[in-house]
Amino acid sequence: VALGGITGNANALRVTAGILIALAFVPLLHSGYYENLGRSVLMFATLSLGWNIIGGYAGYVSFGNVVFFGLGSYVTAVLWQHWHQQSILLAIVCAMAVGVSFALVLGIPILRLRGHYFGIATLGIALATQEIVSNVDWLGAGSGLTVRPVDAYSTYYYAMWIVCAASMLATYLIARSKLGYAFVAIRENEEAAAVLGVDPTRYKVIAWAISAAMAAAAGAVFAGANGFMDPPTAFALDNNVFPIVMTILGGVGTVAGPLVGALILTTINETLWSHFPQIHTLFFGAVIVVVVVFLPRGLLWLLNTRGGWKGIAGSLGAYRV
Amino acid sequence: MQLFWQDLVNGILVGGIFALVALGFSLVWGIMNIINLAHGSFVMLGAYLSYVLFSTWHVDPFLSIPIGFVVLFVFGYCIQRFVINFVVRAPILTTFLLTFGLSLLIVNFALLVFHGDVKGITTQYSGSNFSIGDVTVAWVKLWTLIVALVITALMQLWLTRSKTGRAIRAMAMDVDAAQLSGVRVAHLYAIVFGLGAGLAGAAGVLISLSYSLQPSMGDPFVITAFVVCVLGGLGSVQGALLGGLIFGVLEAFGSQYIGTGLQDAVALVVLLIVLIVRPRGLLGKAAA
Repeated sequence: VALGGITGNANALRVTAGILIALAFVPLLHSGYYENLGRSVLMFATLSLGWNIIGGYAGYVSFGNVVFFGLGSYVTAVLWQHWHQQSILLAIVCAMAVGVSFALVLGIPILRLRGHYFGIATLGIALATQEIVSNVDWLGAGSGLTVRPVDAYSTYYYAMWIVCAASMLATYLIARSKLGYAFVAIRENEEAAAVLGVDPTRYKVIAWAISAAMAAAAGAVFAGANGFMDPPTAFALDNNVFPIVMTILGGVGTVAGPLVGALILTTINETLWSHFPQIHTLFFGAVIVVVVVFLPRGLLWLLNTRGGWKGIAGSLGAYRV
Repeated sequence: MQLFWQDLVNGILVGGIFALVALGFSLVWGIMNIINLAHGSFVMLGAYLSYVLFSTWHVDPFLSIPIGFVVLFVFGYCIQRFVINFVVRAPILTTFLLTFGLSLLIVNFALLVFHGDVKGITTQYSGSNFSIGDVTVAWVKLWTLIVALVITALMQLWLTRSKTGRAIRAMAMDVDAAQLSGVRVAHLYAIVFGLGAGLAGAAGVLISLSYSLQPSMGDPFVITAFVVCVLGGLGSVQGALLGGLIFGVLEAFGSQYIGTGLQDAVALVVLLIVLIVRPRGLLGKAAA
């Protein structure tokens, strides 16, 4: 599914970079609501970018990337609560190290699995890790750990922005490098890639580790801002499923797609939540159904269609039987 | 030793329900390549149907099983025919996302209609049980297991012996070749999805006898179904049955010997080991 090359549509990328730069100025509005909303967008964008590396570029659909987010947030909690090292930068670096090590250790056995089986294994890892964390007293077991924020509130906003911008830049650079082409080669045809000298297991583990680093960094910042960390918050189902939904909505395997998807869905979700708290999830479900049925290839794909409305209408039902 | 036998029996009894839930999930996944995240919401609808019939007209839940099957079959058929069918040939992620949206819709619609409070069904025979030696067996759970086994056996017979069943298995092998041979793919896809939903509905009715009811009650069953399918091997009826029983026993032993909070972790770690040692599942066939 080429959307204008390996990085995606060039115009979409420019517009998205503009949106990202605009998001850096949100704290200047001095509105707690918009700052929280903006930080949510950036957090989900980072998680989506992370998922996009393994799920979009390498084509290995992970249902358990939340495990890295959760571990990252617990790294912050442990550093601040147990060891009194209250630096957000240190937390991000340590979280990334923990996430990458976890991905490497587990990736080597489970990335031998193909397709769905890999997805199930990742889901298993995420659920099992959550249960294990819920039973470790040192990590606060089921009742969680307090993470007292020390810096000014906006610090966490800027930290999340930097994590997100770095993830997007990394995705862009990786996509254009030999690494990105190796990932796409594995996605398109693993046997052919292996014949041409791409070691599939090695590159899949690398993709998963990069994906883990992004999710763990987002988790580390989230914990700092949230002030509190327990297993249901750290390993929330939403943080597992939303990034997948957002990436698909924006465009899988593009640089701009994850941020576009995160921006749209987080905003819709928050707006519905504040105006229709009773039925906001119902609406959210309806939005997903309508988008998937009418735009199965993601929003950014619209930019690449020729022939305007006719082209779009003609592509409706392209996947029917 | 008494505890060991009691856990084994409990695990097998619960495993029958797991197998029935997983069977429908496995059919839809194996034949249509759709990971149906709305499967749990079908289980929930079956359970609530049984609750409504029981509390309004005092219909015995065991009599509601065929009703649950038929109602959910029709519901599933319509969803496949008029919604999912538009994107059924798209990459698996697309249908994954669509069924996620559908499950949000169904669960939250149920939340509006039935509200979030916990409901339950208490029949005259709810508490009755019998003993073999030191092992106690609840009648409801035993009959639940028997019904689950019968439905699974009927399913296997239908898939292997009937003309429609053969056409469905042909679609699973090669959908284009099946279509060229005159199989009405859109209709049969809807039948398969309807069957998956119907089996979930029947399982939901059985579940309403021994679990409490809540709109979000189906979600854990999706994950269980996932694991059971992989344990047994995708798209295989015997696999779903074996996987369900193994998973039930693993959970029972896990909660007894390692800790109640860790029962799922034990089952999931076993799953990971099975995947690494035997990636196609216990009864799965080699890749096509």
